[in-house]
Amino acid sequence: MARARTIPPRRTKAAAAVIGLLVALQAHVPAQPGQTPLNLYGRGATGANGVVAAAKPEASRVGIDILKMGGNAVDAAVAAGFALGVLEPNASGIGGGGFMVIKLARMKDAVVIDFRPTAPAAATPDMYALDDRGRAIGNASVEGGLASAVPGEVKGLLYALEHYGSKTLTRGQVIQPAIDWAERGVPVTVNLAQIIKDNFGKLSRFEHGLAIYARDGFPPEVGDTIVNKDLANTLRLIQARGADAIYAGAVAAKIVAENRKRGGILTLEDLAGYQVKVRTPITGSYRGYTILTAPPPAGGTHVLQLLNILENTDLAALGEQTTAAAHLWAEACKLVFADRAAYSADPDFVTVPYAGLASKAYAKTLAAQIRPDAVLKSPAAGDPFKYESGSTTHFSVMDKDGNMVAVTKTINMFFASGVVVPGTGIIMGDDMDDFDLKPGSVNSIQPGKRMLSSMSPTLVLDPQGRPFMALGSPGATRIIPTLAQVISNVIDRGMPIQTAIGAPRLYQGRTGNLSMEGRYSINAYNGLAALGHTVTVNPDYDAVFGGVHAVLFDRAAKLLHGGADPRRDGQAAAY
Amino acid sequence: MKTRLAMAAAAALALGAAAAAQTLAIRAPIASKPAFLTTVGQSADIEMVKVLLDRGSVPHKDNPQAKAGDLAPSGAKTLVVVLGGSTKGLGAAGISADAEIERARALFAEAKKLGMTVIGVHVGGEARRGQLSDRFIQAAVPACQYLIVVADGDKDGFITRLAGGAIPLDKVDRISKAVEPLQKAFK
Repeated sequence: MARARTIPPRRTKAAAAVIGLLVALQAHVPAQPGQTPLNLYGRGATGANGVVAAAKPEASRVGIDILKMGGNAVDAAVAAGFALGVLEPNASGIGGGGFMVIKLARMKDAVVIDFRPTAPAAATPDMYALDDRGRAIGNASVEGGLASAVPGEVKGLLYALEHYGSKTLTRGQVIQPAIDWAERGVPVTVNLAQIIKDNFGKLSRFEHGLAIYARDGFPPEVGDTIVNKDLANTLRLIQARGADAIYAGAVAAKIVAENRKRGGILTLEDLAGYQVKVRTPITGSYRGYTILTAPPPAGGTHVLQLLNILENTDLAALGEQTTAAAHLWAEACKLVFADRAAYSADPDFVTVPYAGLASKAYAKTLAAQIRPDAVLKSPAAGDPFKYESGSTTHFSVMDKDGNMVAVTKTINMFFASGVVVPGTGIIMGDDMDDFDLKPGSVNSIQPGKRMLSSMSPTLVLDPQGRPFMALGSPGATRIIPTLAQVISNVIDRGMPIQTAIGAPRLYQGRTGNLSMEGRYSINAYNGLAALGHTVTVNPDYDAVFGGVHAVLFDRAAKLLHGGADPRRDGQAAAY
Repeated sequence: MKTRLAMAAAAALALGAAAAAQTLAIRAPIASKPAFLTTVGQSADIEMVKVLLDRGSVPHKDNPQAKAGDLAPSGAKTLVVVLGGSTKGLGAAGISADAEIERARALFAEAKKLGMTVIGVHVGGEARRGQLSDRFIQAAVPACQYLIVVADGDKDGFITRLAGGAIPLDKVDRISKAVEPLQKAFK
């Protein structure tokens, strides 16, 4: 429920001035309900040996248990990743995919594992009939078989385990906690209960999901548990046979059969042919700190681009939650999103000007377009080629050896396509909706292509090049400004990681309203409105701005800190 | 003494529970079948109310974006409205909050003209409250002849106050328990 803003007496004049505007806005952009009750306590964790920050406390503890058993950060991340597919079934799982950035202490360079789903071989740019608003008729890119691409999760997680895991733990040991939770049952939180209610229609349309995620035909209540024995059995098959358990044989046949029954085009060949791609991270810097982030089709390039634009201004001197700072963020976001729409896509299919987008010289030209006293109305994309020389979950892990992992993975929308493969517990993703559904754009559908994503798992090294921070977030396009804001909160304002995550956020797309959490200063609100921004006031803590899960190494204290997002169910664990 | 008090308390609780299970705010059915189901606020809660009507053996047609002109051709005798707003739902429907309220008002006027009973159902709990939802609830409640509410959604008594004692209101503690009052509202 949205809470009323309490305005201190000294702000009453400003409040009176803005009430008329708020009332006028209310008709068009009413606040959305936030998560209630909100729990701000116990989200962070600190330890000397290892830290995991994930969207569910149980998943963070799974990661810590793996570290205690002698696993490294990758082992812990893979275990937490499989567990999250059970514990947060609405957000990620075997039917989806994601991106993982790994930098082990022994590695000179970080690596990005791209396990994003891929368009099936039979996909075509005009495979969806569109309505006059450009949306797929019958919601076909979101719900049902045609919404699903070839999933990458299992191959991606196991690739990481095999190539970067400690080898001291077996695949069976790493997957076992996920099986245990599937059998024991997932606790239904306030957050999960609401997500199931909101997606009850979709789950009802494809009855196999209802069998798992409903109680007596209705959404489960807070305090219930969701047992998924089918998923436990599928995970056992992966324990025994690895990725082949999913991409070939009986489970693959079931996936294809259910997908096609629901109108999809997946084939056994699509599954067998899925390949993990190992990519080089986009590397840049922000005020001396090195940023290592996921390149296209992920969104990290634009996190770096946003930070590069902001670096042209002394943000700390602009003050916290001031009009000037918020205006700068909003205008920079517009420019970044204009470029994203024009240039970002699967680099295996189009030429993405990575280096230009991430270049400080290019960012300087963009920063020069921002005026302190005026609002950009509809910014066009720039020309980064000139500078060319070269409803998701996120969890982060760091161990005492300086190994760092950041993973963002998704089945796309909450409960994805709604299609649950009978007998397997697998929810099929609806990542096809992340393509541009119209032919002719860089992100249009092509067979074998990966759809553009905003997922941006990111690692940060300190000015001496040592491990400092790992972070990421769900939240669709909000991911990009959200991560940049958290990085800025830590680097520019010196906030502890949990404070940086909790701080009020804003979001601005290329066009449209500027959205701000309700805790943002009313003075900034007034100032922004006066500058010409149309501002939407969201709830105080709004999950729409993402769910950042980050870990940070305080070298002076020799302590690892984990921060988790109160906007969702996040909670870090450490030892 | 303690034992006697405990026994008396237990008996009172049992009586209270029994009364809660049997006593409804309406003494006799007020609505006729079939029903027409729509939302006021475009929330996904309509999906749960479909199940409630099915369980209560109330034949119904549904259209979340129904217009006043849809009521007469449907042949429905009762209009069931699902209360509570969803930004996502409004966005998907391509309709503003103001336009949604206008749509609801037109529906209520048409229902009155056709002699239909209007039943309001709020099953979304606390999350289906707040600035957006409350506007829709406020607009719809006065048009209802009966209200069924999952109690979490009225912790602050907002819906009860709007009903003002003039509109019978029953609260249930879980969605599944709304079947009984809904079923008993129909002849």
